[in-house]
Amino acid sequence: MTIEAVSRPLVAAKPRLRRTARTRSRLDGAVGHLVMVVLSIFCLFPVYWMVVTSLRPANAIFETSLWPSSISLDNYAYALNAIPIVHMLGNTLLISAVVTVIQLFTGLLAAYAFARWRFRFDTLVYSLVALTWLVPFQVVMIPNYLLVAQLGLLDSITALILPHFASALAILLLAQSMRSFPKEVIEAARMDGARSWRILWEVMMPNLRGTIASLAILIFISTWNEYFWPLLLSRTPENSVIQIGIQMFMTAEGTQWGPLMAASTMASLPILLIYIVLQRQVIQSFMKSGIR
Amino acid sequence: MNRKPMQMNRKTFLARALALLAAGLSLPALAQSIPASVDEPVTITFYNYNLATAGIGGDATRKMIAEFMAANPNITVEGVPYSSADASRIQADLAAGLPVDLVQTVFSDLDFAVTNFGAQALEDLVPAEELAAHFEGMSPNGLKLGVLNGKTYGLAYTFSTPVLFYNADLFKAAGLDPDQPPKTWEALKAAALAIQDKTDAAGFAAGITGPTAADWLFQGVVRSNGGEVISRDRTTLKFAEPEAVEAVAMLRDLADAGVYENADINGALEGMAAGNIGMYLQTSAIQGSLVAGATGNYELRASTMPSFGDKPVRPNNSGSALTIHTTDPLKQRAAWELMKFLTSEHGYTIITSEIGYLPLRPAIVNDPQYLGEWIKEHPLVQPNLDQLAVLEPWDPMPGPNYRQIVKTMMDAVEMAVFGGADPAETMKSAQDTAQSFMP
Repeated sequence: MTIEAVSRPLVAAKPRLRRTARTRSRLDGAVGHLVMVVLSIFCLFPVYWMVVTSLRPANAIFETSLWPSSISLDNYAYALNAIPIVHMLGNTLLISAVVTVIQLFTGLLAAYAFARWRFRFDTLVYSLVALTWLVPFQVVMIPNYLLVAQLGLLDSITALILPHFASALAILLLAQSMRSFPKEVIEAARMDGARSWRILWEVMMPNLRGTIASLAILIFISTWNEYFWPLLLSRTPENSVIQIGIQMFMTAEGTQWGPLMAASTMASLPILLIYIVLQRQVIQSFMKSGIR
Repeated sequence: MNRKPMQMNRKTFLARALALLAAGLSLPALAQSIPASVDEPVTITFYNYNLATAGIGGDATRKMIAEFMAANPNITVEGVPYSSADASRIQADLAAGLPVDLVQTVFSDLDFAVTNFGAQALEDLVPAEELAAHFEGMSPNGLKLGVLNGKTYGLAYTFSTPVLFYNADLFKAAGLDPDQPPKTWEALKAAALAIQDKTDAAGFAAGITGPTAADWLFQGVVRSNGGEVISRDRTTLKFAEPEAVEAVAMLRDLADAGVYENADINGALEGMAAGNIGMYLQTSAIQGSLVAGATGNYELRASTMPSFGDKPVRPNNSGSALTIHTTDPLKQRAAWELMKFLTSEHGYTIITSEIGYLPLRPAIVNDPQYLGEWIKEHPLVQPNLDQLAVLEPWDPMPGPNYRQIVKTMMDAVEMAVFGGADPAETMKSAQDTAQSFMP
């Protein structure tokens, strides 16, 4: 067999191979997309069911049809009348925003200290901060409650914010980012006469924007979802948060699914809005926190 | 020389000890010196788990508090909502030194409320004649619900009995007579089998087991078979005795026959409300939720708790009592006044008609001034009322580990009924474990 004879079929096979590879790649892509579509339906279905259930009248609340046989806004009217939803949403928004700003501020200061300065027992203190992350809030809930009671702050928004002034997660995440920040840039700033305060706010912070944005979203969402502390502390719906408001529809006499779903739908809207605006940052924040 | 002062000390000690003893003996008498009326402004806290909800319970409670304050201008009632699931707010407030004056206490927490939250016996606070006057007209069985160690620590407030709700349409479809609901567990099994055979619905569900079920309904089932879960002197657990094991085995038999749905309380409630379950044994308090689901869909009816053959049914109660915790005489009077108002004819008219619990005063049922007209329009409440005559108390477990005892017992019940475990062995093992949690 000559070389041409051998090579001919090979040459002819190349485009076929390419075509096969391309077809397989397309197929893989299609399968991947199909899996993602199915998973998305699984994820979105509870949200869809929540909205649909909120629109069902009381005697059709347990219907299993995908679309309600009759639509009613009674659940929304009842929920808005039964608890001050707008007020509670406002409280939740305020608390989440304030806690986010405060935790970022204290986190930046502490992280800078850990990342930039060497001091006695610095590793030990850093480890202790890391360890506090492992302590569940339920453990310190009662001591915190006693302190807040002694300060006369029971049933107040201030008390809902107070125990959340510092976050181990924020400190650790920011310290890690600051440690990987180029030392040359900091040295250059120092040679230009900048001191720590200026280096932190004018040199480091603008470059850590991505991490800070991710962290802000994480803090905001976890504060938004906070339940146990408000449950213990709040005594009136006016000074409470939306998570408690939603739970109020679950009673010893049965759960009021219609109003509960209506309240949940209304409570989801602000966080959904934030998600739509900051989609990319939210995904990045979860990826980063997952990796680290 | 040294002995004399010592003798003096001993004498002084003895004298003081006697004085203390005398004071102790006369404590109830001293405690009865609460003022006859509230003549100066006073504020009391009312820890109420209905207030933590947005439903009918919360609305009715707020209405009653408002009416009471309007009628008693010197008394301000500060309603404090709390979660009955853990009572952590009461614990935290007591630790913080905040006033905990009057509490809506779940019956299973009564022992703990007395030993740890300082709940006080009404006999020690209120003059005997006044107490007797208020108790007049109340169901004697209802009054027993809050009695512990011979004293009334809790006055029944929002309480009810186990009711067998059933779907009359499914009964008809299965060829059963909806006018003859099952009165025994045997008949219930037969009816459930018929429903499962001839319709697409499940036969039976009950709020006996599950994470939020507590143990009240199980206690009623065991009692109805002649057993009890704890001895009368409250020292020995008895849920592994033959009568209790027999009751568990009966439930197991229903599960093995495939007619007893292992659904949690919410799941079963929703299934029943949606018309997918033939019968549902649960507190009458969920009647409102069931009616909302049934309206326009099917005919909901109710019957009394089934019996074990010829043995008498001994249903017990779910729900809560009112307990006074304050030691301040003026606040005690204010709390007692509120307690009297809430358990008055008028109070129970609101509690029964607006929330759905039993009236502690049976006479108001036929009184047109109170529940007379309402009862005619709401016949579903009748089985609940019928059981008031044979009602027995939900025994609270003693000691600080009372919830652990209940959990150990109820986990064993669930394993024996639905988990395939041997009822006798499982209940015995659980009883041995739970006995070690007893004080």
